[in-house]
Amino acid sequence: MKISLNWLKRYVDIPVSVEELCDKMILSGFEVESIEDLSATMSNVVAARILKLEKHPDADKLQICQMDVGAAEPIQIITGAQNVFEGALVPAALHDSHLPNGMHIKRGKLRGLPSDGMLCSGEELCLKEADYPGAEVYGILILNEDVPAGTDMREILHLNDIVIDFKITANRPDCQSVLGVAREIAVVLGQEFRAPQPTYTTIGDDIHNYIDIEVRNYDLCPRYMGRIVRNLRIKPSPDWMKDCLKTAGVRAINNVVDITNFVMLETGQPMHAFDLRDIRGNQIIVRTATEGEPITTLDGKDHTLSADMLVIADGEAPSCLAGIMGGLNSEIKDDTTALLFECAKFRRDSVRRTARTLGMRTESSARFEKGVDIGTVGYAMDRALQLIQELDAGDIVEGVIDRHEGLPEPRVLQVEADSINALLGVDVPHDTMVDILNRLEIETTLKDGVLTCRVPSFRDDVEGRADLAEEVMRIYGYDHIVSTPMTGSIVRGKLLPERRYTDLLKHVLIGQGMQEISTYSFISAKALDTLSLAADDARRQTVTLLNPLGEEYSVMRSQLITSMLTVLATNYNRKNEAVRFFEVSKLFRPLSLPLTEQPEEIPALSIGLYGKEEDFFSLKGIVETLLANFGVNANYVRSDEPYLHPGRQAAVTVGDTVIGTFGEVHPDTAQAYDMDTRVYVAELRLQPLFEAIEKVRVLYKPLPRFPAVERDLALLCDEELPVADIQKTIAKAGGKLLETVTLFDVYQGAQIAAGKKSVAFSLYFRSAEGTLSDADIDPVLAKIFARLEEKGCTLRT
Amino acid sequence: MKEQLEALRTRALGELETLNDPTALEDFRVRFLGKKGEVTGLLRGMGALPAEERPQMGQLINQLRNELESALTQREQNITALLKQKRLQDEKLDVTLPGKAKKQGGLHPLNIVLNDLIDIFQSMGFDVVDGPEVETEHYCFEALNVPKDHPARDMQDTFYLAENLLLRTQTSAAQARTMEQRKPPIRIICPGRVFRADEVDATHSPVFHQVEGLVVDKGITLCDLKGVLEQFAHEIYGPETEVKFRPSFFPFTEPSVEVDVTCSECGGKGCRVCKGTGWIEILGAGMVHPRVLAGCGIDPEEYTGFAFGIGLDRLTTTRYKISDIRLLFENDQRFLDQF
Repeated sequence: MKISLNWLKRYVDIPVSVEELCDKMILSGFEVESIEDLSATMSNVVAARILKLEKHPDADKLQICQMDVGAAEPIQIITGAQNVFEGALVPAALHDSHLPNGMHIKRGKLRGLPSDGMLCSGEELCLKEADYPGAEVYGILILNEDVPAGTDMREILHLNDIVIDFKITANRPDCQSVLGVAREIAVVLGQEFRAPQPTYTTIGDDIHNYIDIEVRNYDLCPRYMGRIVRNLRIKPSPDWMKDCLKTAGVRAINNVVDITNFVMLETGQPMHAFDLRDIRGNQIIVRTATEGEPITTLDGKDHTLSADMLVIADGEAPSCLAGIMGGLNSEIKDDTTALLFECAKFRRDSVRRTARTLGMRTESSARFEKGVDIGTVGYAMDRALQLIQELDAGDIVEGVIDRHEGLPEPRVLQVEADSINALLGVDVPHDTMVDILNRLEIETTLKDGVLTCRVPSFRDDVEGRADLAEEVMRIYGYDHIVSTPMTGSIVRGKLLPERRYTDLLKHVLIGQGMQEISTYSFISAKALDTLSLAADDARRQTVTLLNPLGEEYSVMRSQLITSMLTVLATNYNRKNEAVRFFEVSKLFRPLSLPLTEQPEEIPALSIGLYGKEEDFFSLKGIVETLLANFGVNANYVRSDEPYLHPGRQAAVTVGDTVIGTFGEVHPDTAQAYDMDTRVYVAELRLQPLFEAIEKVRVLYKPLPRFPAVERDLALLCDEELPVADIQKTIAKAGGKLLETVTLFDVYQGAQIAAGKKSVAFSLYFRSAEGTLSDADIDPVLAKIFARLEEKGCTLRT
Repeated sequence: MKEQLEALRTRALGELETLNDPTALEDFRVRFLGKKGEVTGLLRGMGALPAEERPQMGQLINQLRNELESALTQREQNITALLKQKRLQDEKLDVTLPGKAKKQGGLHPLNIVLNDLIDIFQSMGFDVVDGPEVETEHYCFEALNVPKDHPARDMQDTFYLAENLLLRTQTSAAQARTMEQRKPPIRIICPGRVFRADEVDATHSPVFHQVEGLVVDKGITLCDLKGVLEQFAHEIYGPETEVKFRPSFFPFTEPSVEVDVTCSECGGKGCRVCKGTGWIEILGAGMVHPRVLAGCGIDPEEYTGFAFGIGLDRLTTTRYKISDIRLLFENDQRFLDQF
């Protein structure tokens, strides 16, 4: 809310600097967004009188002016303008002056003669015709003032003002007004608050001779008040009112329209004025629109209304969108002779919905949306009528039509003063509480330690102890809040198991040289296509945003791979040679589509790598290490993810459940991300890991006392036979003497028949009872050979 | 024979002096002290001596043997020492050559800072809880005293997924869930990801992170809130940091405060970072609104509480002086390596 200091000073004395005022307001809950000194754009420009005018001897178009600038001696200024004359009062920019258009004027010479400044046009002072009559005339601005030469132009142009932009929090709609802020300033500065006390006289007559008002939807319009003004004398408003409106960024139009705007800004209560001629049937009906009903608003736009929108209609059709904008047909015109003033409270959610639906936002709708006080309706109307009289804008007809279903009684709160201190943890003296609340116009008395507070209707936000505590404290000063250490339990806080396990997971991965990344939870719907997922793939069942920022952020991700590929691509394209990344995040799986309940949020891990050291097995090594740390007993089987290399991918299974897949990215997918290198990715669901580690109990096993016996085994087998099968066969046949089986070589090529491969293992045998001899081991080996032969393996010798 | 013995001694000791490697020494041992060596040869030659001279001569020969053996040992030790010294000399390295390091992984900077926060609040007895990212309007708004069509909903532009489902705009959504599940005393923080429909730029991201704090118990005061936040500020910004409350408004707290700390850049003197004020706004907080407590079945007459919400991304960018929040989500290795 932008408010001018001069306007505020109409209601409260401000005997402190603007900076101090702002500091105090900030500490009482009113943030200051900006302070704008209107005079700052112009300096050293004065009204000057032309004493003498001569032609420049060396230039046809230049004139030499002797100027009275209020100083002892006249000064000489040379001008090129032709509309100046002796005796004229004009704006003169003196030596070292600044103009609003950015010019910096210095003393100089024109065609050999000194000029001590410059005479200014309206344009050079950034003035429009509305700001000053004659401002848009070509030539120097001729001032129509009765002021002595030397008067500061800022005074003449009413620029000696400062506009403060206060940020008004949503709980204080009463401060969307100059009076509301002035009241706060009065409390904060300890000054008297001088709200206008409207009085006026009527010319008799009776409003009922002119209009009838009916409210059909009191739920949407709890109060509607009307008054009639006759014999309108429409003319421009006085300067003081124009100045006030200008500081608020409102254009002055005529006295009647200006009064409605002034009252809205002053009291926070929007007003509307109808040309009485245009109200058909002499009646106003506040009602909801019929479906499809048309209206043309003041801005000339046509709207089609729906049945939940509130309108102000006359006997025939809607004339206004309630609380949003008046209709074109009933606006105040230059020849309007009688008007109906409307002052009403419309329900904020209704105004908000209608304004949104129609894409409109006005000063009025913004105020109704924030909340207008039902009690201010009458005050604002009286104030408008007072101004009508003060500005001699018309004659007030006797009588008011005030439609409502009863006005609320002021809320009365009874709160123990000590309970306020108990909530705050401070000791505000009870009398101080009473004083503060009364200054805020919350009428408060104290009896037996109990505060009885009558809350005015404009402070609808004050509902109980906590609100009173805040009111007291923000005026008493938050610097009185001291800090007390937490008492109570001294137990260290606990982490959820999932968080502990996630920490372990990250620890393990970081140990593998992996860097954590963080990416958005929503992705492009098209991203799934880069994975070539089948039409019926479950991952295509996505949770979709209704109002995304754009297509690229339109669905919640059902997998982490596309985000990972995007990050890998960014790094690859920026010539980062090798990376190892992981991300722990959530997958979103809808339980129904369209979405009717919260989707399942599945914790998952993605891994992505590239670089000349990386291959399928370096990725598998990471996965294995991770799973080993979580005590997961996993199997690796061929898988068929469309985005992975068909021969270089595996699913990780635990029992019958696939918990994830990993492998080399399919060249087509890599290509879709502009990567012409081998890239490896994995995605694992984490719940199975968390469940597995729950069961892990680490128990010490005694170290072996007897040496192990090593036997190497070189086998020849079909190239399609998975090594894991051979290894399992050996382990099973080896029984309990066989401690470990370790693969140390796989070979195909020279000396090996086509379609075959050579596989070599190291076998370690050990017994806890004693050193093993050949006699102990040979039978075991024989059994192993036998089983291997069944698998089609032969010993290589 | 004595002369012969003396000559042998001179010759052997002389030769020993010239030997410089272990092989030569072994050869020396064999030639002089071995079974067929010269000293042994002298012993054998004693048969030719008269019997009465033999003991004396035997003693002399044994003396010579002992003498040569100890000289040999001495020489061996010297040579070993010399060789070791030479090897050590030869093995001198250019210690300024780079080490053989394995590439180190690391946490994302947001999580480095989050872990610090978790540690600070855990030490003050806060449990760390979690909440869903897709929330119902109830938990994100209504339970937090933000009814439908309330202007406070303007404060946050919300991503909707369905009629009643949205991406949570604040971790405060965890407040009501927590209060429904736990009974006072409650002392939790809820870190998490939140979403608002802000266009992406250097200081805005539609995805960001918060840490919500909530304490509910008998006799909790605004001063307790300040105590907790001061402790937090001291650990994060340094022990000299001062904390200031400014009145503000949030629908779910009353009184509500904005919390400022003395600018860690200038120590409160005023600088570019704090725009000359000496203070930096770090978070919003307040006493839990009685209606929020009551809505969760907690009697606001009996219990009071406070809540606060820390912006993790902002804390991270200020700590590391990261000028553009987009860097956090771009994940360039050269950026991530710095933390």
